[in-house]
Amino acid sequence: MRRILLIGGAVIAVASLFGTLGAGGSAPEDATGDAEAERFAERIRGIAMSCAACHGTEARAETAIPRLAGQPEAVVRAQLLAFKADQMPGATVMPRLARGYTNEELAGLARYFSQLDPQFEPEADTR
Amino acid sequence: MHRTIARIRSVIPALVATALIVASPASAEAQGNAPWDRVDPAQELLDGATPRAESIQIDLPSVTQDGSSVPLSIEVDHPMRSDDYIEALYVFATRNPSPEVVEYHFTPLAGKARISTRVRLNESQTVFALARTSRGAWLAGTREIRVTVSGCIAQGNAEKGPDFMQTRVRAASRARPGEPLDVRTLINHPMETGLREDSNGNAIPERIVHSFRAEINGETVLTARFHRAVSANPYLLFYIAPGQSGPLHLTWEEDTGETATATAEIPAA
Amino acid sequence: MTRMPMNRRQALKRMGTVGAGSLLAGAGVPLFAGSRTDRVVVVGGGFGGATAAKYLKRLAPGLNVTLVEPAKRYYTCPFTNLYLGGMREFESLGHDYRELSDRYDVRVLHAFAQDVDVEGRRLQLENGSTLRWDRLILSPGIDFRWGDLEGYDKRAPEQAPHAWKAGPQTKLLRKQLVAMEDGGTFILVAPDNPFRCPPGPYERVSMIANYFKKNKPRSKILLLDAKDTFSKQGLFEEGWRTHYGDMIEWVGRSADGRVVRVDPELLEVETEFGTVHKASVLNVVPPQKAGAIAHRAGVADDSGWVPIDPHTFRARRAEGVYVLGDATQAAPMPKSGFVANTQAKVAARAVIADLAGEPAPEPSWANTCYSVIAPEWGITVANVYEVHEGTLREVPGSGGVSPLDADAAFRSREAAYAEAWYAAITQDIWGTRPA
Ligand SMILES: Cc1cc2nc3c(=O)[nH]c(=O)nc-3n(C[C@H](O)[C@H](O)[C@H](O)COP(=O)(O)OP(=O)(O)OC[C@H]3O[C@@H](n4cnc5c(N)ncnc54)[C@H](O)[C@@H]3O)c2cc1C
Repeated sequence: MRRILLIGGAVIAVASLFGTLGAGGSAPEDATGDAEAERFAERIRGIAMSCAACHGTEARAETAIPRLAGQPEAVVRAQLLAFKADQMPGATVMPRLARGYTNEELAGLARYFSQLDPQFEPEADTR
Repeated sequence: MHRTIARIRSVIPALVATALIVASPASAEAQGNAPWDRVDPAQELLDGATPRAESIQIDLPSVTQDGSSVPLSIEVDHPMRSDDYIEALYVFATRNPSPEVVEYHFTPLAGKARISTRVRLNESQTVFALARTSRGAWLAGTREIRVTVSGCIAQGNAEKGPDFMQTRVRAASRARPGEPLDVRTLINHPMETGLREDSNGNAIPERIVHSFRAEINGETVLTARFHRAVSANPYLLFYIAPGQSGPLHLTWEEDTGETATATAEIPAA
Repeated sequence: MTRMPMNRRQALKRMGTVGAGSLLAGAGVPLFAGSRTDRVVVVGGGFGGATAAKYLKRLAPGLNVTLVEPAKRYYTCPFTNLYLGGMREFESLGHDYRELSDRYDVRVLHAFAQDVDVEGRRLQLENGSTLRWDRLILSPGIDFRWGDLEGYDKRAPEQAPHAWKAGPQTKLLRKQLVAMEDGGTFILVAPDNPFRCPPGPYERVSMIANYFKKNKPRSKILLLDAKDTFSKQGLFEEGWRTHYGDMIEWVGRSADGRVVRVDPELLEVETEFGTVHKASVLNVVPPQKAGAIAHRAGVADDSGWVPIDPHTFRARRAEGVYVLGDATQAAPMPKSGFVANTQAKVAARAVIADLAGEPAPEPSWANTCYSVIAPEWGITVANVYEVHEGTLREVPGSGGVSPLDADAAFRSREAAYAEAWYAAITQDIWGTRPA
């Protein structure tokens, strides 16, 4: 079931080749201020919404496709970058999708997902 | 070859012109900025004449996801009487590697100057048609098309298969009195453009069916000249004037000189 | 964040909008319901419409959102082919609107929209009532071009089903397949582009072959196509050879596959060059256009589809009207449920920004079309899209189809992911909990 997590260990190794593990996952800090940061955050939210089509709302669904909500930022970031670099053996659609985004966007997504409540129906969602 | 390159070059400035034309067709024409003004082979044909931008209806989808086979229909709204008819219709694509697409030569036996076919369009561009009447007047029509590349729609390259040069023809079985009769034709042929490479990276030489002739009772109805922008397995729908009946003979000729034929019986009305 | 103009702040607050720039929005930051009520009416509770309603309320809980959809239970077209192939129960394809109404406070009206008054900003329902809107979202899916294919009129589907909208038609086709004698011929007539779900006809014959192989192994499948090429063609042909030998015969347009006349009584079809084929079960996928309400609203063009502004999915031909999904002219995006879902999110954000007098946020779309060829044998095409010089395109370097010659384990993984995708997207849209 949890194929991605199974290969997670290998992924971290791959990612350290890229030297990405230590880097911050959000917009470049020196970007031209708040407006830029805000636009970047909006963009990440927009992209994350399209991920929901396979990962469920806020990436909380747990099926053969893994839940991303609440996953460690470094792991997800490493995985996304490895997908993009075609370094995930046996990967299916993810390399083709990951190539549609910049490294900053993938890192931003990892951060975004890591901060989500993994509970399927958190109270805050029920209105 | 040199000639082709020269043509491509000359098309580039036309692209700019095309954009202007879309914005304001009437004034652009007045300024000599119509697409045919910038396409050498069109200029050669016109030989100084200015076509009237009327009477030609071009049907193309406004957007296509498969530029390798775009349905194209053209109708010239003009009589087909022996003293005044459309004798030629030329189609050009401004942004293709070479602008000539296809040309048709009608006789009054065609009954109406209307055809349907399938063409290759490399990218978003202006397609235009020029028609010459038997009295020497020129008509013109244009149409814009947007070509997108979509991973969801396969773009096929027809290969030379066992059905190579197999032909098909079908004439409408029920002729409506007084109405031209439609005839559909097809020949299986990959229409190699000469622009493609095989899996080993070698250029595949150009090899196309370049001409077509339809005759009824030995008299010509229509001839056509296909360029490499005609899609693989050239398809052509044309008409035959009312009152004609008997055997319809079709001949296609490849650039190797090889020919293929087909026959259909045109029923009396 | 402080640069946000006050009027925007106020407008967003009215709608109870999740603070822009708050990455934590979905992660437990309390959201407040706004008091002022901008009215957004959504027509169609399918992939596009239901997603739009939910995401409008997720992003702006204070908005007044009404969803107009005649059915109490929506059956998805996705996976109807698996049902036809005996791999899925029909009821497992049904979803209701409880999450939208109970959890997200969307007003769900089970009614049919009859007409749109764009100037007066009103939607007329078939039951005689009228809804006022500040923004209108249409996601009506497709309607058929009855009469374009000679003989295939409105009554023809009773004998020769299309099964291209999920429901009684799907069940009728299944019933006919079950009743068919072993050794019969199933014919599927496929249309020219553009049409709903480019890989759909090819997945369908795969699934019917799966059913025949187990139950009626002497039967034959003939796919008569108006096209010379089709979506994921190499992968489908490979899968057909692997699993079904020569049971499936595909006839492309240049091999005289284009059907020009249907006789639904005799279950006969005639091709362009005059070949007549007789079927035991005949499935005709007719030519299509945007759902009728889009034409009533005057937003469709001569192509039969709706041109949209690619940044927002606002209809080019009307103020305040947004259109989603199959009804749109969004090439190179396919007419898929996945794409409709991502378009709906782009439009929901654009509508909220529009109501606040702000420019729309930068859009982002993706698509993955899964097709199941046999149990444990799935294939995909995936893409990411962007706006470039005013038109939609695939992000260069991204996307593509599954590799040819992949091993069985790869195909089996994509089949498992197809099931997982279905569970996730129906959760994302209708709140159906993954089993
Ligand atoms: C056999 C088949 C298999 C498919 N498989 C897949 C797949 O695997 N993956 C995928 O992504 N896509 C698939 N699709 C495509 C998918 O079904 C469509 O792309 C998707 O449904 C489009 O969403 P939509 O919102 O545009 O339309 P729909 O989902 O059709 O929703 C339209 C809704 O609007 C309602 N409606 C219409 N007119 C009115 C009106 N006037 N008033 C009120 N309500 C109205 C209808 O009742 C309907 O509920 C498949 C399609 C078919 C036919």
